[in-house]
Amino acid sequence: MTHTTLATLVLMLPLGAAALLLLVPPLRHRGRVAAGLCIAATSVALLATIPLALHYCAGAEPLTLRWSWLPAGGVALATLGLHLDAVSTSMAVVVALVALCVQVYSTGYLAAEPGRDRGRYFAWQALFAFAMLGVVLAPNLLQLFICWELVGLLSYLLIGYYWTRPAAARAAVKAFWVTKFADIGLVLGLMVLYQRTGSFDWQTTLIAGEATAIAGLMFIAVMGKSAQFPLHIWLPDAMEGPTPVSALLHAATMVAAGVYLVVRAWPIFVAAPDVLLFMCWLGAFTALFAAVVACFQDDIKKVLAYSTCSQLGYMIAALGAGSMIGGYLHLTTHAAFKALLFLGAGSVIHAVHSNNIRQMGGLWSSMKPTAVLFIIGSLALAGVPPLSGFVSKDLILEELLAAGQWGPLVFALLAALLTAFYMTRVVLLTFFGGPSEAAESAHESPSSMLGPMAVLAIAAVLGGLLLPVYGAMAGVEAGFHLSAIGATATCLGLAGIAAGWWLYAPARRDRPPHALAERLRAIVTSAAVDRSAEFVYRRVLNRLSAGIGWFDRFIIDGLINVSGWAVLRGAEVARRAQTGRVGDYVYAVVIGLILLAAAGVFAP
Amino acid sequence: MIPAGTPILEIIVAAPFVAALLIMVLPEARRGLIRATAGVGAAVSLLGAIAVVAAYDHHTGGIQFVASYAMVPDLGISLELGVDGWGVSLLLLTGLIIFAGVFATWTEPRRVREFYAMLLVLVTGVFGVFVCLDLFVFFLFYEIAVLPMYLLIGIWGSSHKVAEAGPFRFVWRLLRIGDKQYAAMKLTLMLLIGSALIVAAMMAMYFEAGGQSFDLRHLGNHKYSLGMQMWAFPALWIGFGTLAGVWPFHTWSPDGHAAAPTAVSMLHAGVLMKLGAFGIMRIGMMMLPEGAREWAWVVGSVAAVNILYGAFAAMAQRDMKYIVAYSSVSHMGVVLLGAAAMTVSGWNGAVFQMFAHGLMTGLFFALVGLLYDRADHTRHIPDFGGFARKMPFVAAFFTLACLSSLGLPGLAGFVAEFLAFLGAWQSPQAWWAVVGLAGAWVTAIYVLRACKMIFWGPGPDERWKNLADPRGTEWVSLWLLGGALLLFGCAPGLVLDAIDSATSDYLPKVAAAALEVLR
Repeated sequence: MTHTTLATLVLMLPLGAAALLLLVPPLRHRGRVAAGLCIAATSVALLATIPLALHYCAGAEPLTLRWSWLPAGGVALATLGLHLDAVSTSMAVVVALVALCVQVYSTGYLAAEPGRDRGRYFAWQALFAFAMLGVVLAPNLLQLFICWELVGLLSYLLIGYYWTRPAAARAAVKAFWVTKFADIGLVLGLMVLYQRTGSFDWQTTLIAGEATAIAGLMFIAVMGKSAQFPLHIWLPDAMEGPTPVSALLHAATMVAAGVYLVVRAWPIFVAAPDVLLFMCWLGAFTALFAAVVACFQDDIKKVLAYSTCSQLGYMIAALGAGSMIGGYLHLTTHAAFKALLFLGAGSVIHAVHSNNIRQMGGLWSSMKPTAVLFIIGSLALAGVPPLSGFVSKDLILEELLAAGQWGPLVFALLAALLTAFYMTRVVLLTFFGGPSEAAESAHESPSSMLGPMAVLAIAAVLGGLLLPVYGAMAGVEAGFHLSAIGATATCLGLAGIAAGWWLYAPARRDRPPHALAERLRAIVTSAAVDRSAEFVYRRVLNRLSAGIGWFDRFIIDGLINVSGWAVLRGAEVARRAQTGRVGDYVYAVVIGLILLAAAGVFAP
Repeated sequence: MIPAGTPILEIIVAAPFVAALLIMVLPEARRGLIRATAGVGAAVSLLGAIAVVAAYDHHTGGIQFVASYAMVPDLGISLELGVDGWGVSLLLLTGLIIFAGVFATWTEPRRVREFYAMLLVLVTGVFGVFVCLDLFVFFLFYEIAVLPMYLLIGIWGSSHKVAEAGPFRFVWRLLRIGDKQYAAMKLTLMLLIGSALIVAAMMAMYFEAGGQSFDLRHLGNHKYSLGMQMWAFPALWIGFGTLAGVWPFHTWSPDGHAAAPTAVSMLHAGVLMKLGAFGIMRIGMMMLPEGAREWAWVVGSVAAVNILYGAFAAMAQRDMKYIVAYSSVSHMGVVLLGAAAMTVSGWNGAVFQMFAHGLMTGLFFALVGLLYDRADHTRHIPDFGGFARKMPFVAAFFTLACLSSLGLPGLAGFVAEFLAFLGAWQSPQAWWAVVGLAGAWVTAIYVLRACKMIFWGPGPDERWKNLADPRGTEWVSLWLLGGALLLFGCAPGLVLDAIDSATSDYLPKVAAAALEVLR
């Protein structure tokens, strides 16, 4: 098959599955059929992406297909199509692989749900796979934006999977509002781009000022989608969705779309050094900030959510330091190990029916496979050599050093320490120590859940091997070595693990938490940012709208009503002149004559 | 597709009128037959409109399917029919909305005969406006479209209590605010004042062009003095704009839509408001290009106010119909913003927004009607919650309409808003686009919040026992309009090619006129 056919299949199969499920209720209402259809479509899509990736990563010429979509003045204003090159096809493999793992996992995780709900879930999953692959394979930024919005919609729908829960409903809407707000930046960026170049292509040369404007505007959307401070507020709330959704959308793929946008629009961002500098600092700050907050979370999914913010911060910082490959490699490895961690967390939640790590403990004995896989993921996240997380994080740190960004480098190193610390804390509290009440009755998850985790664990261990491939993609020499900065980071990571052990070792876990820790917990949360967002919504937007609503009803409409009232009242007054009595009219005639005569006399 | 010589436009315009006449001679008791006649009349128009869309050659462009019938030759009045690329899309919209509307009001219990007759006469007027090339007849059709609304709301509408409040509460009692008659009267009077302005501008154009013909092609070729254009354009803008919901002459819309029965709300917001915008573009901007250029910054700035102010006002509402009505005010702002931009994308976006918003708001009102019937005639959203459990399809279609409203790609609303804002960005007043985008964001806030409050969450509690998904004919409007939103969102070229051909035709004329002003 030609590459065009393959690439079309990659997009059309998930779309077809979704359309079939949405339009044919009998299929949708049988959860098993829906799952089968969705998984079949995604597996074929995955199989189709692999030869494409092998071909284009080996250095083949990129291929672009375009169809006219919007006309303007008789010519095409916008096109839709496909773009196949090393970046897009390798990302497509990552997306399809994680999506497939998550979908298979979901069949086990949601087995107890009613068939209808599962059908809806898998329809959205298939549509998400389509939208996300659409982002990845987009030939221009307009199509990327279109699919980007669709991905946001699917995030809204999947967070709201448990739509009867008020918290899930709130979280879904909040996620949409925050990311939609950020997307204003992307639309404006596209408009400036179109105004300057007459197209929505990223392969373009811009003068510095224009590039700064476009890249700066687009970066606002990246902050929203990739949960960078202060627009990260929606991500922890998004954990109200089912855990596999958190793994796929809110860890591995959708939130990485922001990073992918920067990678894709690299020619524009490279021409905007001011924006890159800002990205570097903001990313590093987010990495540290979110890592600190993650240390104080008791909800296992919230720990992982803040950890995702933090890791996305690393990627943004790397891109800001001018290292496309650093950000992109970390995106890939993070997709594997963070999805693994979320699925592991899901396995635990599935067993103990709680998100709170303080109610877990001692699960090691009853859930050994899950524990082992989760620990592999944690080690990869903590950057322990030679796992994939070490390779990509080391690359980022080296690039920060090479770019001379000392501030962000320090932030990133501290974040590495804290990352190891909070993961150790989670692992110890969840799996070790005396079994808690909930853990007594826990038993291991089915193989439909463990299988996908094992696949991701392999990817999390070996992901680092992609380094030379990605290096070739960016045209730079990249090999494995142990640098001074890498050694430092590793030592810091080990120190973090040691600190975690020291504080949360099974022997000490029954000790009440230190007063200092409690004080810190109260200070170090993301609550201040959350509260300001709440303030904007409740106090600013709601009050403004109430004011405008009042003004419209009672002033503008009031004036119109008053004019109607005045006419009616005026008519009543004027009507009094028409009394119908002859005497009155005679008086009127006489007075009129006198006035006329007077006018005649005094007139000049 | 259409055999040569078929009087297709005549068929489209006449079908509803003939159906109305037939209905009037049917006995009131034969309700099924009355509805079927109305359905057939609407179906003929819809099929005719589809045929016109398919047969309109957008490569050639220009005015096609031309026909001419003399009416008052002495005054130069004749029935000139013909449709341009803009009209094509709006014909299709009108066909879709009336067909859906007939089915959405299938269960109207009172005076079925008069109701459907009136509705169909109104639609005849709407079709007439979109295919008419004679200004006098244009205005005639315009009034035919506007006036039946008074009776439709006054007789078949619904009243609701409005608490006396605000600094002008002394007028409440006298005007009986909240009554359906109040809403009908306010709507009619405001639109009539607008009509008076239109007539004044129309006469000025007729006499300045020699007083021989009302033919739009003749009037369009004349060069009017700048002095006349400077007052006549704003007269047309406010006159037509009142119907298009231009701020601050929009307040008839929330009350009128809230009081009107379902099909009437659908037609009014879906199609009639477009007549106003179409009038501003087709008559105002095309006939008086210099005036339009000079006033563009006012038109566009007020449109920006419309978008943001309408969105915030919608956010403040708790009554479903008021939310949709204010959202119409906001979305009509997008039309006028695109129009005022006077760029290719802006005009394409403006006309496409008329089309997209018509579909969307038609779907909204059909759904609100369904909900209103099943929720014991309440529209107060804070009382609702968890309705998706009992009515999943209503929830799904409502969400679809919401998503088009906030401009989600894949639905028609996105194409329209994107083009209109892109056009605004390319105009001299780029800030309009920023306001427009902010308005789209506020829209996301209030529509998703409404969706959440009605359909999501626990519940519904026991008092909502009649909730159920649509039955039988009620499905028609939902699938038709929802499907169209999706179809034209994914393949906008189906009508946008035609729209673009008209825009490419008209815009250079206006631009050339503007250059002359500069000289």
